Amino acid sequence: MNLLNRLLWNPAVVRQWDDEDWNRFLPLVRNARLLGRCLALFEQHELLDCVPSRLLDQLRGALAQTRYVQVQALRELRQVASILARDDIPLMALKGVAYLVASLPPSGWRNLSDIDLLVRERDIERAEQALKNAGWVPSGEFDAYDQHYYRDWMHEVPPMVHLQRKIEVDLHHNLAPPVSRIRIDAALLWDDSFELADASGRSVRILGPADMLLHNAVHLFMNDELRGGLRDVVDFRDLFEHFSQQAPGFEPQLLVRAQALGCGRALYYAVTTARRLAGLAPSSGFLAQVEHHAPAWPIARFMAWLIEQTLAPQQLGLMRSAFAGQLLFVRSHWVRMPMGLLIRHLLHKGFRKKVRSESADDLPG
Amino acid sequence: MHQVRLDCGPFTVGISSSDENLLATLEYFYSHSRCQDGSSFLDYMIRIDRPRGLRRWLRPQALFSIDGMRPFEPHPAENAFPLYEWGLNWCIATSAHRYLMLHAGTVAFGDRALIMPGTPGSGKSTLTAALHLRGARLLSDEFGLVRPEVGDLLPMPRGIPLKNASIEAILEFDRAAPLGPTYPRTRKGRVRHLRPSTESQRRQHEPARPHWLVFPKYQTGADEILKPMDKSEAFRQLALNCFNYRLLGETSFRAVAQLIREMDCYTFTFSDLERAAPLLAALSQAPIERETDRA
Repeated sequence: MNLLNRLLWNPAVVRQWDDEDWNRFLPLVRNARLLGRCLALFEQHELLDCVPSRLLDQLRGALAQTRYVQVQALRELRQVASILARDDIPLMALKGVAYLVASLPPSGWRNLSDIDLLVRERDIERAEQALKNAGWVPSGEFDAYDQHYYRDWMHEVPPMVHLQRKIEVDLHHNLAPPVSRIRIDAALLWDDSFELADASGRSVRILGPADMLLHNAVHLFMNDELRGGLRDVVDFRDLFEHFSQQAPGFEPQLLVRAQALGCGRALYYAVTTARRLAGLAPSSGFLAQVEHHAPAWPIARFMAWLIEQTLAPQQLGLMRSAFAGQLLFVRSHWVRMPMGLLIRHLLHKGFRKKVRSESADDLPG
Repeated sequence: MHQVRLDCGPFTVGISSSDENLLATLEYFYSHSRCQDGSSFLDYMIRIDRPRGLRRWLRPQALFSIDGMRPFEPHPAENAFPLYEWGLNWCIATSAHRYLMLHAGTVAFGDRALIMPGTPGSGKSTLTAALHLRGARLLSDEFGLVRPEVGDLLPMPRGIPLKNASIEAILEFDRAAPLGPTYPRTRKGRVRHLRPSTESQRRQHEPARPHWLVFPKYQTGADEILKPMDKSEAFRQLALNCFNYRLLGETSFRAVAQLIREMDCYTFTFSDLERAAPLLAALSQAPIERETDRA
């Protein structure tokens, strides 16, 4: 547990913090992309007086940036929806952009860099083509191997971006790769989805509440090496609390749905992690049920350690978290690909790490 | 690993590095910006160190990291200082949206500020350097930080990066200009920084009131011409020269409108610093004091 986790557990701890605590806190909260969330926490708990004013400047600056990106994300969704509507392709918004469309709690602070969308598998090629005809292009260089990787093994097409805009569009046909250990019947997701209207009145669907949480869990603990980080755990907590307040029977409903979609293990990891690292407090009956989906205890303990090293490191850049990250990276591939595929994929990629690099041209100095 | 804490206008920056050269260069430029209060709040905590493995010895590199992330590719180790300056600019430009950020060179005469926005090649850095050498207080050569609710300009005095021919132009203008080491091969070409004066560093927490807006344009062989500018065009041009105009939405619209109302607006073509600097300084109609404490 680091300072950020302790704050999420009990915001009042900041009353005791000194300058050096705040100095350790700021890199953690920037790394976790939770500046806007923390600002909201300070406001809700009337703690603004305890926060250094320069830190408030940083938090407010981040929130201004978030609001701007949110507007762009909604506009991008509107553009995509209008293109797909012409071809009568039903569209579902996922994750961040779905929270925005539905005005769910994370929309108050959550940043996003891409919009995740779901179409039916039978529509995905038509949808991709329709977007390409309307000015979207692949957002990076994807060689023949990458194309093959996305199209045959993953549950999405290579990400796209409109030529004149910056927000990436990720088009999926399922919540987990077809080759993975978790097989989700996408038809069930559509059956339980809701129709909403976007800002221009065009129809957009979102996942049902239970599916939305299960997607968060699957995405964080099965698809990627915890790439969404603590932010996704906080989303899980916030959405869980929101839906539980809205419908008293939400917890049992979530358990039933996890069973039906085969996501019990992901739910176990999400609930236990949100409880440990972000102060989620579900009922004890629910927790006992969730425990049924736990792996054998040595694995559960080891995973809990890995997750904590990655999502709640005492300090950023520790060797221990880098090592845990590597193990989780291998595990995420292990979960989503059968052994034969995994070996081929890792040999091809040669364990190459992606290096994020900024272009020098549009920067000052 | 050594940590220094530097005041940087409204921000305080912590720099951790074991690179002796970098630490010495920081000391040369910012000895009057050292953060006095040992336990103050740090806005940015930057680490500059060598990558692990072979590259530590073979053509050594400098790696910039902040918040546990490494936003840039490693640079050659000898460019650690330009990497720090450039990286800090990136950190500020991508996060300090509490301020309206003008892309402009800014200097002050007393508490009245002259803002010179400019695209690369317009000569704003060179002009800012020249005005500073003639005694104007340096606010910043890159960022005009405006508090939108107040409309004043916050100083952030840093080394002014002079590029290629500008280095000679400034040395010709002032033989004694306090320039740091030469960096022959950076992404922007050959770079040498001008050190901000002691006075500018000491007064970095004193805001200035925007008073003149001048859009400079360097033109080889041109005469110096300062021409009043239509305010609606000045508004458009200033909005285009903000890092975060669109991002701040209505806030920036109002702030830019207020700035334009308060300022006299001009375009300025120039080719010769000897003529250009006094002409702009004369705007203030106040005697310009030459600093005596410059090393």
